[in-house]
Order: sequence, then C-alpha cells, then structure tokens
Amino acid sequence: MTMTLTRRILLGAAFSLGLAGAAAAAFPDRAVTLVIPFAAGGSTDVVGRIVAERMAQALGQQVVVQNVGGAGGSLGAQQVAQAEPDGYTILMGTVATHALNPLILKQKPYDPVADFAPVSLLVLVPNVLAVNPELPVTTVQELIDLAKKEPLAYASSGNGTPLHLSGELFKSMAGVDITHIPYKGSGPALTDVLGNQVPIIFDNLPSASGHIASGKLRALGVTTTERAPSFPDVPAIADTLPGYETYSWNALFAPAATPPEAIEALAAAARAAMADPAVAARMAEFSATIVASTPEELGAHVKAEMEKWAPVVTKANVSLD
Amino acid sequence: MSTPPRDNTDLIAGLFLMATGVFFGWQALGLELGTSLRMGPGYFPLVLSALLVVIGLVVLIKAFGREGEPLGQIAWRGMMFILPAPVFFGLTVRGLGFVPALFVTTLIASQASVRMRPLPALALSVAVTILATLVFSYGLGLPFRRFGPWLPF
Amino acid sequence: MDLLSNLALGFGVATSLANLAFCLIGVILGTLIGVLPGIGATATIAMLLPITFQLEPVSSLIMLAGIYYGAQYGGSTTAILINMPGESSSAVTAIDGYQMARKGRAGTALATAAIGSFFAGTVATFLVAIFAPPLTAVALKFGAAEYFSLMVMGLVMSVALAHGSVLKALGMVVLGLLLGLVGTDIYTGAPRFTMGITQFSDGLNFVAVAVGVFGIAEILRNLEDEHDREVMTRTINRLFPTREELRAMIGPILRGTGIGSVLGILPGGGAILASFASYTVEKKLSRTPEEFGHGALAGVAGPESANNAGAQTSFIPLLTLGIPANPVMALMIGAMIIQGIVPGPNVVTEQPELFWGIVASMWIGNLMLVVLNLPLIGLWVKLLTVPYFVLFPIIMAMCSIGVYSVASNPYDLFAVAFFGLLGYVLSKLRCEPAPLLLGFVLGPLLEENLRRAMILSRGDPTTFVTRPISLGLLLASLAVLALVFLPQIRKRRDEVFTETDA
Repeated sequence: MTMTLTRRILLGAAFSLGLAGAAAAAFPDRAVTLVIPFAAGGSTDVVGRIVAERMAQALGQQVVVQNVGGAGGSLGAQQVAQAEPDGYTILMGTVATHALNPLILKQKPYDPVADFAPVSLLVLVPNVLAVNPELPVTTVQELIDLAKKEPLAYASSGNGTPLHLSGELFKSMAGVDITHIPYKGSGPALTDVLGNQVPIIFDNLPSASGHIASGKLRALGVTTTERAPSFPDVPAIADTLPGYETYSWNALFAPAATPPEAIEALAAAARAAMADPAVAARMAEFSATIVASTPEELGAHVKAEMEKWAPVVTKANVSLD
Repeated sequence: MSTPPRDNTDLIAGLFLMATGVFFGWQALGLELGTSLRMGPGYFPLVLSALLVVIGLVVLIKAFGREGEPLGQIAWRGMMFILPAPVFFGLTVRGLGFVPALFVTTLIASQASVRMRPLPALALSVAVTILATLVFSYGLGLPFRRFGPWLPF
Repeated sequence: MDLLSNLALGFGVATSLANLAFCLIGVILGTLIGVLPGIGATATIAMLLPITFQLEPVSSLIMLAGIYYGAQYGGSTTAILINMPGESSSAVTAIDGYQMARKGRAGTALATAAIGSFFAGTVATFLVAIFAPPLTAVALKFGAAEYFSLMVMGLVMSVALAHGSVLKALGMVVLGLLLGLVGTDIYTGAPRFTMGITQFSDGLNFVAVAVGVFGIAEILRNLEDEHDREVMTRTINRLFPTREELRAMIGPILRGTGIGSVLGILPGGGAILASFASYTVEKKLSRTPEEFGHGALAGVAGPESANNAGAQTSFIPLLTLGIPANPVMALMIGAMIIQGIVPGPNVVTEQPELFWGIVASMWIGNLMLVVLNLPLIGLWVKLLTVPYFVLFPIIMAMCSIGVYSVASNPYDLFAVAFFGLLGYVLSKLRCEPAPLLLGFVLGPLLEENLRRAMILSRGDPTTFVTRPISLGLLLASLAVLALVFLPQIRKRRDEVFTETDA
C-alpha cells in the first residue's frame, strides 16, 4: 500500500513536471469540464450541451458537462471562480451570473470581472413580452394604456431573474405599475399564463416560442432592439418605448489567471463550434443570435452589461441576501 | 416507585417539538412578517412554529399520568461511524477525488458494525471503490475527478 | 377512428427493432441504476441523459421514457428491500413494503409493485392517448387558489385519519412543512432558515432528507443491538403472490390507478399527493386497518399503482403544453430541446409520429418492465441474504454518490448526515417519518400558492371559496374532517402513518 502510494506520488510529480513544460503547446491534454450553473434541462443547459459537443471536436478532447445548479447560478459560478486556473474548468456564464447576481446579491460570492478570464460571448437570446389571448390588447401601447386604467399582474421565472428585471425596466420606462408574480422557473409561470391565471408574462423567447407559434400566447414585443429572425411579425418593445433593450446571453468564462494560451485555444474552439452550420441551425431554431466574440469583446460586454443593469436594479429595489 | 407514572418518550418528544418550534419561530421573527393579506416571508413559518409549540405542549402534558415504553438501546457506535461517512465524502470528493474519497467513506461506514473485522472491511472498501469507479466514472462518465488536486498526481 | 389510426402509427414507430432495443436498454439501465440505494428517478435520468443525445429524437425520448420507468421501479425496489426511498412517491411504498420484506414477504411485495405498476401504466397510457387534449384544459383551470385547496385536502386526509399518535403525526407534518420552507423565499428573495449557507438557498434536497430520515435512521436502528436481533428473517416465502393475495390487490390497484391518473395531470405537483392519497384511502377502506404499517399488501398495491399512473399521466401536460410536472419532466423537456423539438401544443399535430410513438412506447416500456422484473425478483430478494454488516457500508457508499450526483453539492451530503440523526432521534421518540416527508414536499407548494392566490386576489381571502374548484376541494376537506368525527367511523380509525419498529 505504502509502496504503491509513494511510487504513484513520484510518478505523478515527474509527470506534472513534464507537463508544466509542455502545457503551453499541448492544451488540452485531458478532458475539459464545462460547469453549467443551472439544472439540466434549462435553456443555458441546452446551449451548453450543444456547444460542448462541437468544442470537443475542435479541441480533440472530451468536454464534460457538469450541472452545478443553485442560488440563481451563483453556486456554479463560484465553483469555477475558485477552481484551478488551468483552463480545464470553465463556466457557461449568463446575464444572471455575470451582471445581475453580482448587482443584486448583498453578499458577493465572487467578482464577475476580477475572478474570471473572459473566453467568448457565444449567443444573445431575446426575451419576449406576451399575454394570454383573452387579454384585450394586441400592442405594447394598448397594454400600457390598459395598465394605467386597471390593475394587472405579470408572471416571471423568479425574483431577480433577467425576466423579472425586464419587467421592472418595462414598468419604469412605461410609467405603469403591474404586480410582479414570481414563480419557480419559467415552466410554472407559463402554465399560469396559458390558463389565464395571470394575464402577462416576460419569458425567454425559446421557451415561449412554441406557445406563440400555436396562438396560445400573444406576443406583444421582443425585448431586443431588432426583431427576432424566428418571429419577424413580432415588433420590438423599443418601437413603443425607445431605448428599451434587454436580452439574455451565454458566454464562456475561465477562472482568472488562466494561461492566455489556454484561453486562446478555448476561444478558438468556441468560435469553431459556433461556425458549424448544424450548431447555427440549432441556435436559429432556438431564436438565439450567434456572436462568438473574442475574449476582449466579452470582457467589454460584461462591463457594459453591469453598467446597464445597475440603475434598473437600484430602481426596482431588488436585492437578495 | 413513588413517582407518578409518566411516559418519558412522549415527555422528550413534546420538549423536542417545542424546542424545534421555538427555534424556527425565533428565526422567523428575523424575517419580515407582513400582514395576512400581503404575507411577508416570515408570516407562514411563524404560524407553523406557533402551531408546533402548541402541539409539543399538548404531547408533553399528555405524557403525564401514563406509563410508556422505555427508549431502549441507542446506537452510539452506529452514529459515530455512519453519520460521518457522507460528511467525509462531501468534504473530500473535490479535493481528494472520487476514488480515495469513496474508499475512505466506505471504510468509515464499515466500522459501525462490531461484526466487521479490519481485513474484510478493507477488502469490501476496495471492491466497492473499484466497482463504483467502473460504473459511475468510466461507464456513465459522471463528471467526477477520479484523483483530485490535493493529491500530487 | 382517429385514435386507432394514431395508436397504429405510434406502435408502428415504437415497435421498430431499433426502438424496441432502445426501450429495452433504457428499462434495463434505469432499473439497474435506480435500484442503487439513494439514487432515485431524477438522479438516474440526470446520469443517463447524455447517453441518449446521440440518438434520433424519437429513439432518444423512447429510451429516456424506458429509463424513467425502470428508475421508478428500481426506486420502489430499494424502498421495499432496505427502506430507502429515492423519490417522494416511493416513500409511501417503503412504509408497508419494508415491513413485508422484514417478514420474509419481500418477493410478494416486489411482485405486487410490479403488477400494480403494469396495470396502472396500461390504463394511464390509454388515458393519455384518449384524453390528452381535453385533460389539459382541466389542468389549466387550476390556479393558485385551487392548488392551495388541493394541498389542504392532502394534509387533512393524511392527518384526519390518524389516531392515537394523531398529535405526533400532526407535529411531524408541521415540522416537515417548516423544513420544506428552508431556502430562498420566492416572493422577496429573503433567505429563510439557511443558517447563512448559500448552498441551501434552493432548499433542502429531497433525496438527502428522504435518505436521511428513512434509510440512515433505519441503519442506525438495526445497529442498536447486533447480537440478539436479526434484521431480516432468513426464511423467505414464495416469490409470487398467491391467488388470495392477487384477489386482494385488485381493489387497491384499481383505486390507486384512478387516484394517480387524476392527480398526475395537474402540473403543479398533484402527482406528489397520489401515493399518499391512495394509502390513506386504502387504509380507510380496509377491513383490517391495524395491519397497515405492519406489512399490509394493500399499502403497497394501492400507492404503487397510483404512483405509476401519476407518472404516466404527468406526460400529458408535458406533451400537450410543454410544461414539466416535476423535475424528471423538466429533464425530458431539456432532452427534447436538445433534439431540436420545441415542446408545446404543436408537437401532437406537427410530429404525430413522435407523440404517438412515445405514447405507444410508454405501454411497451411498462410491459418490458414487468417481464424483466418478475424474474429479477428472485435476484433482488437474494440480496437480502447478504449479511447486514456487509450491506450497509455499500448502502452508505452508494447513497453518497447518488446524493452528490444530483447537484454536485457537498452540503447535500452534510444534510444526509443531519437528517439521518434527526430521523433516528424521531424514531426513538416514536414519531413517524412519513408525515414529515409529506409535509416537506407540500410545505413550499402550500405557502407559494397561498401567497400567490392572495396577491392575485388583491388580498381578498374569499378567493378560496368563490372559485368553484377551490370551494369543492375545501368542502371535500371539510367532509373528510366531519367523517372523522362521526363516532362509528371513529371506531375504525387508526394511525395512517404507523410504522412501529417493533
């Protein structure tokens, strides 16, 4: 027992010494773990798994997906922030983990800028404002007018989520008050809007798209400044409320101090994955716009997002311990 | 035998329920209560805590005046080894890695029985570790590191 | 007729050689992983999900459905053999199933579970095929007020029928409700009872609580005095039920199927109540209610059927609305999206071969399950002849892996230890874990819907009685309470959740 252990330690030491020299040239020489900070089955998980499969081909190594859900994505992000900065543990970050949570949480479990090395901004995903067809409004303006006359409520996937804040931004820009009804995730929120228990919802376009296409939900506007290619008939909310813009996004991050060579290799693999026509087709079905940025662009994006959301968060008075 | 009859088990059960109720109630007081029309996060738990204290009190009162079954033996050795096993696994699975963490976890748990001798315990732990590693790590490809960063290899 | 041609289309898809093979592989893998202690259906599916990604959409979902049924049955097997339920539904099976196993009737209990599941699965599959669209409309009528009233009825049913230790059962329900509230308040984001531990902000993990209060507490009880006590009788009787036993299980299976089918449709967690409700009903109707908790056959047959019927009909909101009724269904949705299928009302019309193929494979999966498992019962029962001191370290190792694999959260393992201790203390104090677990799963739903209903009604509490379905459910709860206070019925009352460790 002792013998083998010592031998293994020696072997291991020799091995890692050898590696240290070759690391720069040979990244990656083993499987990369992609941490998804949400439970399996959600939209971030879906994007992550599709991308992971293609990145593995580009890297020539397995990309293992690990779901570390909890605390609105903070647990998974925190785990990657504290992981060894060797490029073998990376995070599928979102607008929640890298803009909203750091602004909302009173105790900051990690710093979205200092603790991470940006790799690549993969996709932007529009959100949508939709109503139950029984609500007598067909445009954003009619909804605003109605909200000024009678009390309304809107459903979201939870307190402090991008969708909740999209709703709060809408309220403050339109100058109306609509009661927020949070749910545990998008699914139950959708159920209650489909059943007209709550008339209005802010949801991710991908999860609502089936219901919009079938007419069970009436989409009033998308939250991006441009219309979504998958729903060319749905106007942008910004047409009625100039300057209104929110969207969810997914981006890859590595722990801060990850060697630049590893970042480059990962970013190149991510770009290769996003350039794959099959991935592009999947993302289009998903209503997601492909960005596939450089690490520098992602770094700038995170800063811009934090600046954009800070006043909304303050105004909506959302804070979590 | 001059003491009046009482059911010690229910006596402790009543106290236990009351203590738990008081603990939850005390914690709930730190939360915003709201009104019954617009409930805050503390409202529902506080009502439940109060209910638990009342239930505990009634259990306690009813414990007097009747004889109960004794508590019986307590599995001290069992608790000493069974309960730390999952805790050890949780503390070390990331640092030591899946293989050593599982091996030690099984070894700790096996000590809970007086019937388990050291050598069979070791053999069992090795067998469990090998099989679990084959099934979960190689077979199902679960994202566990087999050997973690605390080990120098 | 449309239905027949649709079913023919479905069976055409599902009986292709490849799809049959995938269904079989799914059922086998699901059973083998699900039967490991502490690994329930959710963990099993999460583990096996990636395997299905490489397949065609229909094959992948058929295989997943197979995994799901296999895992469910595997979970019931551990509940019966070692008192280790991996899901809320099999927690009820553990009550009487484990007692049957201790009396040497493990084979009968397992066979009962398999037969009940198969029958319920068959009926529920046809319900899905015939009624999926209209039933969806009913499910959408359930708003916050209705769910609150439904949960009240669930609690009343379980508590009102208790007797003797009714008070302690009530205490356990309340304690369970409180434990269910641990985590972030969804309305304000305030953390509650988390002791400042971020890892508990999404609440305590059900598997950790169930494994702790049931399984670990049981291991500790068995370790109390190893010298003069045998955990299991070595003499194991017939594996298969006798003619009388078969006759005795017909009623419970029929009723369980009905209860499970109805509750499974509700996407807000109605299926959780199915097995508890069935147990309560069986005990209420039984001529020998005192047997319940000591190995009553009906206590296994009813809840297992209800559980499986509910599992089946919970596909209805998934397939027709794209809305998951439980965590397992959420994983299924993820699998569909990864396959490029947008779940929602259009699936039935746009991809009929997918929809009907899955419906048909549900039944085929259930058939395979029963064919596969009846012969395996002999093997499972043999496991009980492994000496206990060898068995429980293995159980502890598997539990640790299973609980950790759900969310890679080490705090879930600390929770296992804590709830193991709590479960042991409670069992020493003769408090039963089943009501605690019921409270734990209902607590968040009860509060969430109560507060949502009050916000939606703008603080008007009459919302619960002015909405007809809600009123109906509350009246039914009152009726149950009233029944309890009628003296002739009181005579037959007994503890619902008796699980004495005598």
